[in-house]
Amino acid sequence: MTSHPLGRPAVLLPLTAFGVTLVAFVLVPTYSDATIGSFDVYNTLQIFARLGPLALALGLTMIAGEFDLSVVGTYALGGMLTVQLGQEHVAHGVLAAVGAGAAIGLAQGCLIAGLRLPSMPVTLATYIALLGLTSALSGGLTKTYANVDVILWVDQTVLTWFSPRSLITLALFALAALVLAATRWGRELRAIGGDRRASRVAGVAVGPLLVGTFVASGVIAGLGGSLLSLSLGSANPDPGVQPLILAAAAALLGGVSLAGGRGSAVGLLGGILAVALLAEIATVTALPAYVTQLFYAGLLGIIVVVDAPDLHSALVRLRADLGPGNARVPAHPARNPHV
Amino acid sequence: MTVASTSARTGHELVRVDGLVKSFGSTRAVRGASFGIEAGEIHALCGHNGAGKSTVVKMLSGQEDPDGGEISIGGEVVDLRSRQAAQRAGVALVDQELSVVPSLSVAENLMLGDARTGWLNRARRSRRRFRALLDSVGLTHVALDRPLSSLGIGERQLVEIARALGQDARLLILDEPTATLSDVESEYVYASVRKVAATGCAILFVSHRLGEVLALCDRVTVMRDGAVVATAAADGLTVDSLIEQMLGEAPSRLDRTRAGRSGDVVLSVTGLSVPGRVHDFSISLRAGQVYAVAGQLGSGASDVLRALAGLVPAATGVVEVDGRRVRTGRPTVASAAGIAFVSNDRKTEGLFLDKPIGWNLLATRLPTLTRLGVVSRARWSRSVAELLGVCAIEPHRARDAVGSLSGGNQQKVFVGRCLHRDDVRVLLLDDPTRGVDVGGRAAIHDLLRSAATDGLAVLFSSTELEELLDLADVVVTMHKGDVVRTHVGDTAGSVLLREITHGGHDPHDPRDPHDRGVGAPAKELLS
Amino acid sequence: MNTLTVPASGATAPSRSRRRGDLATDAVVVVAVVAVLVVGLSTDRFVSYANLKAILTSASLVGIAALGLTLIMVGGAAVSLAISQTVAASGMVFLSAQSLGLVPALVLAVVCGAVVTGLQGAVVGFAAANPVVLTIAASFAITGVATGLTGGTSVSPSGTGYDVLNATPGGVPLCVFVLLALTAVVEWVLRRTGFGRSLYLGGENRRAARAAGLPVGRTTTVAWLGAGSLFAVTAAFTAAFNTAANVNLGGTLTFDAIAAVLAGGTPISGGRGSAVRTLAGAVLIAAVSDILLLRGYSTGVQIMVKGVIVLLVVVLVHLRSKGRAS
Repeated sequence: MTSHPLGRPAVLLPLTAFGVTLVAFVLVPTYSDATIGSFDVYNTLQIFARLGPLALALGLTMIAGEFDLSVVGTYALGGMLTVQLGQEHVAHGVLAAVGAGAAIGLAQGCLIAGLRLPSMPVTLATYIALLGLTSALSGGLTKTYANVDVILWVDQTVLTWFSPRSLITLALFALAALVLAATRWGRELRAIGGDRRASRVAGVAVGPLLVGTFVASGVIAGLGGSLLSLSLGSANPDPGVQPLILAAAAALLGGVSLAGGRGSAVGLLGGILAVALLAEIATVTALPAYVTQLFYAGLLGIIVVVDAPDLHSALVRLRADLGPGNARVPAHPARNPHV
Repeated sequence: MTVASTSARTGHELVRVDGLVKSFGSTRAVRGASFGIEAGEIHALCGHNGAGKSTVVKMLSGQEDPDGGEISIGGEVVDLRSRQAAQRAGVALVDQELSVVPSLSVAENLMLGDARTGWLNRARRSRRRFRALLDSVGLTHVALDRPLSSLGIGERQLVEIARALGQDARLLILDEPTATLSDVESEYVYASVRKVAATGCAILFVSHRLGEVLALCDRVTVMRDGAVVATAAADGLTVDSLIEQMLGEAPSRLDRTRAGRSGDVVLSVTGLSVPGRVHDFSISLRAGQVYAVAGQLGSGASDVLRALAGLVPAATGVVEVDGRRVRTGRPTVASAAGIAFVSNDRKTEGLFLDKPIGWNLLATRLPTLTRLGVVSRARWSRSVAELLGVCAIEPHRARDAVGSLSGGNQQKVFVGRCLHRDDVRVLLLDDPTRGVDVGGRAAIHDLLRSAATDGLAVLFSSTELEELLDLADVVVTMHKGDVVRTHVGDTAGSVLLREITHGGHDPHDPRDPHDRGVGAPAKELLS
Repeated sequence: MNTLTVPASGATAPSRSRRRGDLATDAVVVVAVVAVLVVGLSTDRFVSYANLKAILTSASLVGIAALGLTLIMVGGAAVSLAISQTVAASGMVFLSAQSLGLVPALVLAVVCGAVVTGLQGAVVGFAAANPVVLTIAASFAITGVATGLTGGTSVSPSGTGYDVLNATPGGVPLCVFVLLALTAVVEWVLRRTGFGRSLYLGGENRRAARAAGLPVGRTTTVAWLGAGSLFAVTAAFTAAFNTAANVNLGGTLTFDAIAAVLAGGTPISGGRGSAVRTLAGAVLIAAVSDILLLRGYSTGVQIMVKGVIVLLVVVLVHLRSKGRAS
């Protein structure tokens, strides 16, 4: 209910997550034998470059009130297309990945917006189909990329901390931040996620906007997969579910709500950097994996419980029971209970 | 307050509506609506619920396609196939339902959907204009960057009005803009609307508050049963003559002859309050009687029923059924105490539309049909057959989805599921005949009367005069969260309608004859 | 807020509409099955006892978990994304408790799955928490605790009782019989009990169920408890087959189970669906994969076709229910 910006979940969550992990990162030498150097910052940004596009693609659809599970499928396909079609000219491979992402997004967006289908089952089916397609394209095998120059180029150290790959990913976030914060598209994206009926009545063209969002999501995921396989020098047909789960966790920590309408690209950046820092801390200090997992579980658990609509009304009820006449009108008169 | 003297009428007809027709399925919602609005004119559209006002508004704002007829603006016939098309044609809308997005800031809501804003945000450049817009509706204390979710319902409504005011429209439609506003807030809206009219914009103002209609508007178009009855200058009208035109005949009177079979007090409510909605509501219901809370949207009538059903977490007050205290805010507790509730929102809070009629009839009495958790098929089908009989629905349809029934029959199922249950003592119904045709309405009225005869206390809310007069033994009128008066004696319909539409007396209406000779002060009767 | 009083849509649909509607859903499944059979019959070695066994066997483990997910989805909570992790944890409990004997170990595994999943169900049911986020959190928590307790190593069985689960009475794996029996049980519970009916009602419309005074929170919790028990049964068979269990025991089970339920024509929005449909969905996917395998297509193509089947069923079911609503 507070109007102070720091009190809003879209700001508070990523700030806390990023702040806590950053402090933990800086203080690594004080509680372990490990030291922190510029290489660790570089490494963190490399992890960021791996997961960032996925978190951004997923986050954009979540802001619009949808959930695009297919991003990992597009990610895998993009990586495979880049390796198989980009052997001679890397541009061909990247373009193929981006084009495939756009086509997948367009098809899904038209289905979801045109038929008003729920996005989760559609994108789940697409996810499965894309993993299959990627596997079929590669015969189920990991394909290697022979153009060593490109591999060396994407991961070379730039300005001590960066690589072309992490800079490209940062540029994607900057572009998204610009679009979300400074254009009509960004405002309407949050509007259709927040209250679709009200947006429609206000004159927002909901259908085209949704299609555009899914296309953007596909393009970003395809490009992310493409960059990953160029960095690894190979493409794996099955990335597993871990990237998806981590990207979703990053988006949620970034202050994006699954109910839609809430979130920003800067928040997403904070969320994914928190995830990347945590991974790097775990590597440097040889932290057992389960500690990281319990940390995520705790954070997401808090997010989900704080966001639960009926918990909110239970609190209002409690306040009404305790102090008659003191209770205020609930701040959320109508919430969409569905994903 | 000055009345029509501020009129900005120009005599030049800017908007023309010609023979609009619209049907939904077999229901003819609008059967030929024609009227014109001049540039600078504030034109009221009045009519009882179901008269077709809202459908006309939807067609004018691009939310529904007319089946026939034409709309022209500035002499050109326009095709308003979508909200975007309507906006391009210069139509701005304040919808009947609150249509702002809580997760956006106030400034972003002011820009939302505005066809003129470019692809890049130029919020900074527009800040001064936004500030002036907010100030003009009285939101001087609201910062542009505040999230809308931190505002109250009335303030959100004002933001939506400010958005429409700022669109420099040729036609500005306001559909019940003041229903959730306080008097002070409404004053700001009237002043802003006059200002916009003075710029030559045509304004269509839809409202149930007849006092404000007469004070604000230049002309009034009255609709009844989907057709335009008359368009007349507001100067020549009074609240009573307007009511007469809306009803079509001299208002009937509340008939007392039915009352008298009342039994013991079943439900007693003391000091029920819902923050911002209902102030200190008290009532005692006796078995065998039909009670009504009458009030317009935002009057609190609906909130009283929802609070009693346990659906308002913030509600406070003492509720007792048969002398036993019932905790508020818990639907399962209310239901277990014998309070059955029929919501006004049949689709999202009432029936299970995809489920069979039989399931819907039995949804509230599952425990009585099971033995050790297993549904007894014999008891199930016996109960279904019995309730189908009560609702007068053909027995062979028991397995059809309830969504395949007509609106009236759906409503019968909704009401019927609360009947013939030993554990139900009180039946609450929020606007029980909304969207129901004449035949269905009579059937539902019969159901309610027979429920009272069977010993239930029945409490319903309604905005429809005829229904109140037909059905209720006792009518409690509400206005802006307060009880106006309780009518047990012989009461004229026009008195009820006056109290519903502008409270005990209306400070805005200089023509209010202050006829308060009928009925007793509310507090005395209720305590 | 006052909603617009749109006159009730004509809704003079014929009285056979509901049955016709349900027939349409079933028709989708039937047509798909017929198409599969036609292609199958023309496929070498498809029609053989051994192949039928293979199909049922491959459908059985996913099928049992999908039955659990059916309970969750009928109740309106969309999906659980923690199925694989729950299966892994229950499988570890099952194997490490083997020294107590088969039955106690099985009971312990079921309790583990039921408690872990039931807790999530309580939060979803009583507080209306978002099931997707909640189950993602739960998947981290389960894996974290399991890894912490085992140190990340595989759990080996502490006895040999588990081998009973690998039995093949009459040449058919035990898990096939268990799948069929559990399908019957879940179907009966959904159709014939008061719990099943409130689950359908609350799943279709949570707000309406609350307004009708139904115990939505309790019903949801019970459904998730049942789902957790079914995940644990899958876990026991999977662990017995692998004779070892680690945090990856569940594999891709989460998405396989969702695919099976969706392919059976159960909409993700809740309030509809049945155990028999889920069984059909699981068998359909297994049969199609089998045909593709027999015809020499790669694993990738099999997975791709699985996704396409799910997509088609989702779209068809949605179109049908939308056609009926208007």
